[in-house]
Amino acid sequence: MAEDSARLEALLARTALGDRAAFAELYRATASKLFAVSLRIVRERPLAEEALQDSFVNIWRRSSDYAAARSAPLTWMTAIVRNRSLDIVRRTREQPDVDDELSANLVDETAAPARQAAARRDAHTIRQCLEELDPDQRQTIALAFFHGLTHTELASHLRKPLGTVKTHVRRGLAKLRDCLMGKVEA
Amino acid sequence: MKLSPEGREALAAEYALGTLRGRARARFQSMMAADRAVGDAAARWEAALTPLAGRLAPIEPPSRVWRAIEARISPARPQASSYWRALAMVSGGFATVLLAFMLWTFPGASSEPDFVAVLMAPDSAPRMVVSMHEPDMLKVRMVKPWKPKEGMGLELWVMPKQGKPRSLGMVKNGMGETVIHVTHADPRVRDAVAFAVSLEPMAGSPTGEPTGPVLCSGVIAPVRPA
Repeated sequence: MAEDSARLEALLARTALGDRAAFAELYRATASKLFAVSLRIVRERPLAEEALQDSFVNIWRRSSDYAAARSAPLTWMTAIVRNRSLDIVRRTREQPDVDDELSANLVDETAAPARQAAARRDAHTIRQCLEELDPDQRQTIALAFFHGLTHTELASHLRKPLGTVKTHVRRGLAKLRDCLMGKVEA
Repeated sequence: MKLSPEGREALAAEYALGTLRGRARARFQSMMAADRAVGDAAARWEAALTPLAGRLAPIEPPSRVWRAIEARISPARPQASSYWRALAMVSGGFATVLLAFMLWTFPGASSEPDFVAVLMAPDSAPRMVVSMHEPDMLKVRMVKPWKPKEGMGLELWVMPKQGKPRSLGMVKNGMGETVIHVTHADPRVRDAVAFAVSLEPMAGSPTGEPTGPVLCSGVIAPVRPA
């Protein structure tokens, strides 16, 4: 795994120098993993192909930014693919803007400062922490992450009131954060 | 709009999870760009949650995706000058146009080459022309030299269809041409698809692979069947 990461890192470094052969190798090494990530979110192959294409053009252009990123190369690339996929879903799936309420309610200058989570956490840690959530919270968060479901879609899929689903997401994430920070500090 | 630290964490988490959508998502993205603390929080959550995606079984995308990516990052994409736009439109007669360009740039060009490659800088400006002449002459002509850099020189690389770039040695950074003796059978040029020039120490790349920035590159266009 670490060896794999070092190889991808070297390929990204060469890509930043404009090395097309390295970029092609980077694509061959990661495209099937990233295509699976996108397909889960956008659900239609043509859209996933579009997301993958846009993402790799982005990776080509932004490869020199990677040096400054704090994450593993595959994490950095996956985040680009997830974000592009979510943007495409936003464009293609009509949905009410349910999150306005959330962002409106969260402006509170007097709230206590959140503890800082450390930057590096591996997949093992996040999986462990996910296991520690209540089953409802875990299911809701996994559905949102892997399938790109919105709050509204989660509610209809789980046959639960929207407010309940939002609470599961919010509390689940807060618990995840505490768990992740605990693991880092321990 | 200024976010409280609590609000920042909660929004960053929902952004990374993917549940922050619509206008709220777009608004959060502009906050990420404007406020370092917001950007950092989003990056932390992304780094924490994204490794979960590693659990998914890989699915092979169709080969047209890579072809489309390659086309989109190609330096021959028309951007600024109408010359290059015209060049891209006549892709069928690509080699002919390159050849015409070469003859036009270098009226003294001798025999008709087997292939040519115009090496372009990232801004799509043509900087060098590589051409192969029977039986064993690879000519590298400068279109526009770079400002000399102390102790550094230009190294020419062959980009094969697969595998690592292969060095053809250093080339002169000045007007005129460098001739490299190499035949079609030479393993260094086997399956060559493109040429590139990188900035390296005068003695050549210490690793045998490009280490400095790639200054220009261009794909090979056959002029006549090999």
